[in-house]
Amino acid sequence: MICQKCQNEAVVHLTELVDGRRRERHLCVDCAREAGLTLPDAPPDLGLDAVLQGLIQKNVGELVGELAESRCPDCRLRYMDFRTGGRLGCPHDYRVFREGLLPMLQRFHGATRHVGKQARLRPGASLRLRLRSQLRQAVAREDYEEAARLRDQLRLKDQHA
Amino acid sequence: MTLDDLTRTSGEWLRGTGPESDIVMCSRIRLARNLADFPFTNRASRNEKAGIESQVRSAVDAAGVEAAYFDVNAMSDLDRQFLVERQIISRELAAGEGPRGVAVTPKENISIMVNEEDHLRIQYMLSGFRLPEVWDEINALDDQLEDDIAFAYSSSLGYLTACPTNVGTGIRVGVMLHLPGLVANKQIDKVFRALQKINLAVRGLYGEGSQAFGDFYQISNQQTLGKSEEEIIKILTDVVPQVLQYERSARQELVTGRRQHLHDQVSRAYGVLKTAQTISSEETMLLLSSVRMGVNLGLIDDLSIATVNELFIQTQPAFLQKLRGSELDSDQRNVARASLLRSRLANGRAVEDE
Repeated sequence: MICQKCQNEAVVHLTELVDGRRRERHLCVDCAREAGLTLPDAPPDLGLDAVLQGLIQKNVGELVGELAESRCPDCRLRYMDFRTGGRLGCPHDYRVFREGLLPMLQRFHGATRHVGKQARLRPGASLRLRLRSQLRQAVAREDYEEAARLRDQLRLKDQHA
Repeated sequence: MTLDDLTRTSGEWLRGTGPESDIVMCSRIRLARNLADFPFTNRASRNEKAGIESQVRSAVDAAGVEAAYFDVNAMSDLDRQFLVERQIISRELAAGEGPRGVAVTPKENISIMVNEEDHLRIQYMLSGFRLPEVWDEINALDDQLEDDIAFAYSSSLGYLTACPTNVGTGIRVGVMLHLPGLVANKQIDKVFRALQKINLAVRGLYGEGSQAFGDFYQISNQQTLGKSEEEIIKILTDVVPQVLQYERSARQELVTGRRQHLHDQVSRAYGVLKTAQTISSEETMLLLSSVRMGVNLGLIDDLSIATVNELFIQTQPAFLQKLRGSELDSDQRNVARASLLRSRLANGRAVEDE
């Protein structure tokens, strides 16, 4: 289809209701911009995540609003990501998002304290998780000197584990 | 042990032995565990997943478990489906990505999935109703693995898992039941509602979201926090016998009230399975379920429960294709399925009514 204003290919097809009457417009990109229509640069994102997060925020209230943007320093997961995806990112999340998780645990399990088998104490493990996340972040920002240092440190800790 | 070896054997849990095995196909416990020093699987990089995999593999070796390790990442879709059908891996592991796999013992009692939703999903299955025995076995295995692995654990929340619905004990205690009687007298929904009220989940044979097939249902706990492993097992060992009793009286009712009708139905099912030239998976499940109940009620006396149990698994699509050594479309599978059934059931006959 050809643009109604010039001879270019029309890519914007608009149906409007003006005073109860249908009006169709077919425009090319330039003429559409000239007519004051905003066009998406990229293919439109349906924004489902945002919609979901909005819904959850609305229904779970203020507490989540405050918590929502908080982020685990190690795995970088935001509390909101957990609420939409349903999965936590690392063992430290249970501490970081404690405030949001406890009511959820109470609702699902009817309890918030573990009873039963106990794991052996491994004090070094949590530190290794921290080192590993620092390593990942160092690699991501291409700081290879720091990455090498962290890798050596991890190797040393792994031997002692 | 290779994947092809598995086509020539079947899991111990299909043997049809152990207490209450006329109804209880198997008892199963799984433990969700994570390595303390890695992000959970969904947040782990490829390298980290490979690191997790190698740590778990060496822990399994060190524990002296005689298990073969299958690299699920490297295998074909058909092989993945084959392992799902055998209850060795979950559909989630099959559909996952990156380094992942499963360690399996030759009798298929133990399977340890690596990099599923949690780093480790340790599973132990035994035929019949024997949850305490399964717990002793899996508890010991868990201890052995812990010699080499630091598990993610907090003293207040217990074993830490990717999904908070598994936190605490990380345990899922389940039994797989064959309930054709309750399906026939339409009481099954009532029983399920009662179970759900006490926080037990009811699922089909292939876990979450899978439809019940062949009248098999899994009953398992949902809550994992605030109760000990033994308390959770006790809930199941208290409740399941009541379900067994309902099923038994439903079967008894069928035998006494409508014996001729039931005998006819069972015999026809057996006849079709023994003679069909082409048969779908759905029809096979339906008829095998009838035959299984018939064997248990003495209406068929020349067929073992183990054979019927095995046929539920061996007539699945991936198994048939592995057996033939080639990919088959749906029509070809129906022909292969009928041929397998004819040869496995060749010498059987129904009992004459006196």
